[in-house]
Amino acid sequence: MNQEAGTDLKRTHGHAVLLRKSSSSKMALKEKVVQIYESFFQGEDPSVGNPNFWDEFFLLRPNIPFIEGEFDKVSGEGLMMLKDNLNTLFYKAVESLKEDNVIRVVNAIYTMSALVRGIYRKNFGGFGFDVINILIGFDAAETVMQEMVENLNHILNGEYPTAIKQQVLKFIMVLATACDNISQNTLLEYLMINSVFESIIQILGNVDLRLVLGADAVQVLTLLVQYRKYESANPYIVKLSILDDELALTGYAQVVLGALSDFNREYQCRSTEAQAGWFSAFASMVGNMFVPDEKHVSAVRANDLVLLALYEAIHLNRNFITALTHTHTPSTPTTPPSSPTVPMSNPLNDPAPALQNLDKALLEQSSHPTNLLVTFLEYSSIVMQDTKDETRHSNAKLCLVILTCIAEDQYANSLMHDVNINFRVKLHRMPMRHRKVKVEKDTPSRPLVCALLDLMVEFIMSHMMKSFPLELYNRCLGITQRVLCYQKKCRVRLQYPWKELWTALINLLKYLLSNESNLLKKHNNIFHLSSKIVNIFNLFITYGDTFLPNPNSYDELYYEIIRMHQVFDNLYSMALRYTTSDGESKESAARLTNHLVNIKAIINHFSPKVDSWAAANQLSSLTEEQVLDVVRANYDSLTLKLQDSLDQYERYSEKPRESAFFTTLVRSVVSDVRKSVSNLAQYHHQVLQSVAEM
Amino acid sequence: MLLTTMSTESSLNAAHFERSLSASAVDHTTNKFLSEDCKKDQNGNEQETPKECLLDQTANGHGEKLEEISCRFRNGHAEDGADLSDKIAALKVESNGLSTVSEEEKKEKVKGEVLGKPPLPKNKTNSNAGKQSWLLRLFESKMFDMSIAISYLFNSKEPGVQTYLGNRLFSFPEDEVDFYLPQLLNMYIHMHDVAEAIHPYIVYRCRQSVEFSLHTAWILSAYSADVLKPNWKNSQGIKLKNMILNEELRPKVDKKVGNLPSPTMPSALHPFTATTPSKKTHSRSKSDATGIYSKLTHSQTTGNLQKSSTGDLSSGRAFDSGCICVQSSEGIVNDLTGKETVCHCGAPRLKPELEFVNALMNIGTRLQHLPTKELRTSRLIAELAMLNLNLPARVWLPFNTSNHHHIVRIPHTQAIVLNSKEKAPYLLYVEVLEVENVYSSHIPGKRLENTLRFTKSEEDLTTCYSRNNGSPHPEFSIYGGSEFDDAECWSQEDDEILQFAVKTRSVDTLSQFSVESTTSADSKDPVYIAAGDIRKRLSEHFTAPKSKFERDPEDPSAAALKEPWEEKVKRIRESSPYGQLPNWKLLSVIIKCGDDLRQELLVYQVLKVLKNIWDLEHVPLWIEPYHILVISNMSGMIQPVDNTVSIHQIKKHSKKSLKEYFIQEFGAVNSEGFLTAQRNFVQSCAGYCLVCYLMQVKDRHNGNILLDNDGHIIHIDFGFILSTSPGKNLGFENSPFKLTHEFAEVMGGLESDMFEYFKILILQGLVASRKHMDKIIPIVEIMQTGSGLPCFGNGVNTIRQLKERFHLNLTEEQLQLYVDQLVESSLNSLTTSLYDKFQYFTNGIL
Repeated sequence: MNQEAGTDLKRTHGHAVLLRKSSSSKMALKEKVVQIYESFFQGEDPSVGNPNFWDEFFLLRPNIPFIEGEFDKVSGEGLMMLKDNLNTLFYKAVESLKEDNVIRVVNAIYTMSALVRGIYRKNFGGFGFDVINILIGFDAAETVMQEMVENLNHILNGEYPTAIKQQVLKFIMVLATACDNISQNTLLEYLMINSVFESIIQILGNVDLRLVLGADAVQVLTLLVQYRKYESANPYIVKLSILDDELALTGYAQVVLGALSDFNREYQCRSTEAQAGWFSAFASMVGNMFVPDEKHVSAVRANDLVLLALYEAIHLNRNFITALTHTHTPSTPTTPPSSPTVPMSNPLNDPAPALQNLDKALLEQSSHPTNLLVTFLEYSSIVMQDTKDETRHSNAKLCLVILTCIAEDQYANSLMHDVNINFRVKLHRMPMRHRKVKVEKDTPSRPLVCALLDLMVEFIMSHMMKSFPLELYNRCLGITQRVLCYQKKCRVRLQYPWKELWTALINLLKYLLSNESNLLKKHNNIFHLSSKIVNIFNLFITYGDTFLPNPNSYDELYYEIIRMHQVFDNLYSMALRYTTSDGESKESAARLTNHLVNIKAIINHFSPKVDSWAAANQLSSLTEEQVLDVVRANYDSLTLKLQDSLDQYERYSEKPRESAFFTTLVRSVVSDVRKSVSNLAQYHHQVLQSVAEM
Repeated sequence: MLLTTMSTESSLNAAHFERSLSASAVDHTTNKFLSEDCKKDQNGNEQETPKECLLDQTANGHGEKLEEISCRFRNGHAEDGADLSDKIAALKVESNGLSTVSEEEKKEKVKGEVLGKPPLPKNKTNSNAGKQSWLLRLFESKMFDMSIAISYLFNSKEPGVQTYLGNRLFSFPEDEVDFYLPQLLNMYIHMHDVAEAIHPYIVYRCRQSVEFSLHTAWILSAYSADVLKPNWKNSQGIKLKNMILNEELRPKVDKKVGNLPSPTMPSALHPFTATTPSKKTHSRSKSDATGIYSKLTHSQTTGNLQKSSTGDLSSGRAFDSGCICVQSSEGIVNDLTGKETVCHCGAPRLKPELEFVNALMNIGTRLQHLPTKELRTSRLIAELAMLNLNLPARVWLPFNTSNHHHIVRIPHTQAIVLNSKEKAPYLLYVEVLEVENVYSSHIPGKRLENTLRFTKSEEDLTTCYSRNNGSPHPEFSIYGGSEFDDAECWSQEDDEILQFAVKTRSVDTLSQFSVESTTSADSKDPVYIAAGDIRKRLSEHFTAPKSKFERDPEDPSAAALKEPWEEKVKRIRESSPYGQLPNWKLLSVIIKCGDDLRQELLVYQVLKVLKNIWDLEHVPLWIEPYHILVISNMSGMIQPVDNTVSIHQIKKHSKKSLKEYFIQEFGAVNSEGFLTAQRNFVQSCAGYCLVCYLMQVKDRHNGNILLDNDGHIIHIDFGFILSTSPGKNLGFENSPFKLTHEFAEVMGGLESDMFEYFKILILQGLVASRKHMDKIIPIVEIMQTGSGLPCFGNGVNTIRQLKERFHLNLTEEQLQLYVDQLVESSLNSLTTSLYDKFQYFTNGIL
């Protein structure tokens, strides 16, 4: 029997003879499977009287487009009529998952995918019938779905070819993305009751499996975590949050790292090409001006899911931070071949052939150990360069949200500030009119938090534009504040050129002042933003002794404030203006004036002293050193007011503030994933081939 | 002096001695035994050739008691009928019998000493043999020790003597034999006759101890590296090494229990490839030992899919032999009843530790290819983090002294790349848990780095799920020290409590003000602070005297090594998830790759002997022999000396002269602290001057001289000794030892009493060493055999010159003059300062 079925398959496959020899029908050439489908959709049951029917049926290559097409043809009521047939078909497919014959397993998976997708297509048509009833049947649903998940788990955990495991993951993705709104996808309820979590974790913990299946596994997990996130206790959320299998967490991190570094590498390749010559650089710049970089945007969009995965892991799992900074070593040919160790890195991150074209410096850089945080910071620097269009804006926002979570985490901070954990982080800067792109070949290895602060400074400096991204600025300043709070609390004296941060902040204030009316029209809360900036200064002024790297930097802070006193003066008078008028911003303006108290005190205290010193020495302008001397000499007579809760911030929480953002994000991610699994059929041949090779 | 006269007589007495032992038969049997030792049966056991006669021979000297035992044993086993197992058992009993004898001897000796009586004659049967040779009398005397044994093994060509000595090895305490293991094994490799004599002993020890097997295998592979063309005469070392590494020398457990693999199974020859047990065990141990299992594995789901992953670092089980005996129900029962669990599942015994050491060495090899120190450091940390995934495991640092522990974690960010241009040695700290028995104690479960952090809102609903692993580690801080204690559990609500805690500790900072301001947020009293205070506190922080070196990316080891060991331990303990366990300990090790440590090992042995001699003679010279582990001729491990920094690093980072540094560290010149440190300095300096002179230690730049926190100096790096020196033996440093005026300054100047004391110490040390010269010479001499070590470049002259440096012919007065002369010429040596300058210009060593 089996042999016959086998030859049968061969024939169908080769399209030579599409009918069974035994079949007496002389109809037009039609795939046998299509014939069977047709009879199913006509309400007939071809299995009746043929005990071997299902064995043979799942040896036939399923025709997914045909099934989906049939669903389109049938009306809602007609579908109701077909319920029994569909139930049987689905049930038999679930049964076949247990088969030893992998061909049947693959075909069953495809058939189920086709059924699920077909039925959900109907759902969009506005029919209010229940999908589960038609597909599985209410009475049987629980047991059938339980069996299905068990079978899927069995395949994922068992000694099955990797290609089949991959198809299982794809099928779960089909299930999860059946609806636009993942929380309305009632089918997933069964996946909540019967978990695939453990199987996914096992894939992530296994190096060999992770290389092939890691990306899919992380996607599946991320999608399942999104189900009814804000309503019920989703077991995937629970399990992910307490996961403490270090290998699996590392695997998870490596998958994300792989995807992000692919993006980074591609960006790097393109920008090195662009830099090849002055003219080409100019040309591409002009070109970019007129042709929006569609491909690039779509690449960014594709990363949404990856970032979402990263976000969920960081947000939910306390142990993931370790994996975040868990160093990843690129494999080098120097590994002694005699050693039995498998190359330790993820091929996703191995230098791709494309890299060979790049210059040596890049190769050298690629030999640097990296970790997920390093890669993520580099990625963020790329995405944040341009936040004009919606996709990039939301992607950059997600990056900043993730960074906020990291900056809030005590353990992450301790790792980022550890002087023993140094990395070179390549931050990309946007070319701007008033500055050249600094090609920093030799950024020294520094604690990771330096790179984070650099990124924040860079963001502050490069987004003072007409479409002012106020929200992103708020987050950016929030991250800076969190890091400073940690340093204050733990007395970490970071060797960082703080002056760059101060300059950036003062520039931002300047920008806010000069675009006051414009900005107020759109967002009325520039006072809030200004307060945040001023409070960062206040942190330095009142708590500088606990975290500044040396006494001179405290003097320099005063120097900068005195030098730029006009900005603060103007800010104060602007705030004062709004406190007198009865506007909606009255209160926040009043708060801003309060926050400015110390800065004003400093300016009022030192400015006259500097002036009189200049007069006494008959100098029209003073050098920095001279001002610093004056400052040093006059600290004692200055009294500062200690402000409340400078080192307090509202902890990040997704519910309820960010839930709208995430709901939209998940929606777009779901539709992206659905697209990516829509062409399952084209892999069929590949899968069977790889199975045959086993 | 007795010994030297004895040795001249040895040839005369040899014939007589041979007769008294009537050992010719032994010779034949062992010969046959060795030639056949590579033939094995399918069980992986050797097909032991008849050994009974050997037994009988040895019994001749040691009494019938032994023979009796073995006979009884043989009879007991005769029912089995199995010829083979019979013979194996016989051999085992022979060795056991001997060791029991030694036990009795020891007891007797102890008793005798306690009672203040001379030790009793060892054996009644011996005493009636009136016509003993001098040699035998020496061997039977109580002064006979390992040192004499190896020297006679080396010098005597008489098979009878050799066999006798080979058997006597069984009666020495194991650690005494272990000290001379390099010598024994070097003879094993290069001297076929000695190999025959000591083979039974080595095999016996290998079967007994994993540790011994590993050391033997490593030393064998290191010293047989010079054997270019293996022939019948010198291939025995390699054969033995392969036997050990193929795990053919396993303890002989009860044959009934050990499941004999079928002879048709090819994999039986390599037991470690057949680790199928790991699969079936998972289900079994789960059901049998639910209690312990659930504790050991939390969300470890990766097990099922992996087959044998030993050695695969990314598997997380690289150092797992697949042995389940300890985890099995039997193991748990034994654990509860206090019995030892013996592994009988056939899992490889040596593999995990070998893999671990191998992994450390591979890291070193990979680091060598990286150009900068910065790259090496970050790479090292990355590689160790990878290694960490596979811990805790049943692996340990293979130094003799620190045997009983399991490594649970490597604090990877603390590891440092040491200063070296081409090679990349690195220093590594390991957290271990001390255990009673490495092989049968339970390995602790994995704990993640950050056991306690604040709970996020999403986690609150999951508290019921979260596993409760005892008291989670309460503190972590990367910078250590009390001032960072508040770096913890940092949620909004906790803030105030913490700040309150800070306040109660009355730390003089602003935090207390902010407590007041936040707690009394409603009251509108503003708090004022003076800007001057803030600035003052800031500068005070920086002017405060610091005992630390600033971190320097070009020389990361300086800052790390300067940190006092106690502080480092405390800091790492606080940040470790295993830190609160009572048996937690921190160890350190230097991994060297691409360096031949065999000379280092030789010097270690000489230093150790010298130290013992000086202790024995009550000469207060101070030296610190540090452990060396030779893994191969190109790699090894060094036990770092705690609390030391090199003089180069001191001068570079403190920018002070050595004396100024002493004053800074230990107090004013007349303070007790300084004087103690000065005395330590003088005693250690004298010790090492003598070592440098006797062993002709070269390459003495300040990077190779350490100073510990008591003021002792410690010389390291013995890459150039005896007849080799840097720079193609041009004789750059031709002074007897390194003694600079700076050193003399620390001692109080050339005219000072301490300097006189220094010279007296050298003289006393030299006189004492001369007295016991015979303990030193054989160690060096034996290692010359067949060795390609550069320090023996001058051939026989090397040993002759070494002997000459003891100046046996000088009177004490003459010796005193000679020492004065040595000191004088060292102090005034141009080449010493030239060499220091040379090092400064080429390697930047101050």
